[in-house]
Amino acid sequence: MRRVLTLALLILASVPLLYGVAKLPPIGSVDNPAYTHVVPHYLEKGPEETGCENIVTAIILNYRGFDTNGEVTVIFTSLMAVFGVLLAAKKAKEQPGAIETPVSPVTHFIVRTLAPFIVVFSAYMIIYGHSTPGGGFQGGTIIGALLIATSLVVGSKHAQTFLPEPIRLWLQPAAVLTFTVVGLVGMLLLGKYLSYPVDGAYLFLRVPFLTAIEFGIGIGGAAIVASVFWAMEGSIE
Amino acid sequence: MKALWTNIDYVASVVLLLIGLYAIMAKGNLVKKLMGLNIIETAVFAFVMAAGIVDGGDAPIMGPGANPPFANPLPQGLILTGIVVAFSTSALALSLIIRIYARFGTIESEELWGVE
Repeated sequence: MRRVLTLALLILASVPLLYGVAKLPPIGSVDNPAYTHVVPHYLEKGPEETGCENIVTAIILNYRGFDTNGEVTVIFTSLMAVFGVLLAAKKAKEQPGAIETPVSPVTHFIVRTLAPFIVVFSAYMIIYGHSTPGGGFQGGTIIGALLIATSLVVGSKHAQTFLPEPIRLWLQPAAVLTFTVVGLVGMLLLGKYLSYPVDGAYLFLRVPFLTAIEFGIGIGGAAIVASVFWAMEGSIE
Repeated sequence: MKALWTNIDYVASVVLLLIGLYAIMAKGNLVKKLMGLNIIETAVFAFVMAAGIVDGGDAPIMGPGANPPFANPLPQGLILTGIVVAFSTSALALSLIIRIYARFGTIESEELWGVE
């Protein structure tokens, strides 16, 4: 009964949605409203204004840098919230560490063999994020996924030795910290928070700024993804 | 009808949104409800990305060998932000579900009605 009611409601809801979708401008046209306001400017002037050949990176780090700054704060805050929720549970019920589950030797071998290549791939994505596809977030999540895969294969306790607790505590806010530092340096040199040199004496600093932020986002993202996994795994018996 | 066919990508995200809504409304398991929420997020991402499609467009990466038209870079940047926010909310929701399970021993919302 409940299922039938839900389906009826959903079909009812689909009518206005489909009606609205049918009235939208056709997909793929260059005259699309989404393509006519700021985008031509970004595409035309992006490389010379920002120093990024990858316009997506130019947008997230430069044109909409404040947005990304807020967003790395969001992901860091969510990590803190996860810790707050899960550590309270741990205190209430003292639990032993996660059980080591034996995995198949094939999985073990494949993860261990691929690990160095995965690290190189993500480092390339982070370093060349401003001129090729990729960037800090993508590279960071790849490293985070590698840490999670390693935890599943060799056990969390062993995998955590790659990122010991005291180092992890500084890596988790890495994205927020680098953003703040680069933003403040930009403010000291050029007068506005998170401003990048467009021309003049400090032009040589532009690519180091971008690379620093990409690295911060990548390392911070990896530490956060892995820490969320470890916190959750540690609180399940 | 023809307008729906030309905008088939948008229609696909509407269908995804309804699937996610169904999971949220009809499923009792909290993890399945969260999966429904994730499906809705994916639907929104697909919708915004579809708005950035350009027929025959290249990736918006300049440099030697790049030739217009380019795909719209703005939705891609926005969705990159959106994915990270979706990750954050999912992580928080999952940890709350872990807490609920540790406290009450169940994550079925029907069984959770009766407990204190």
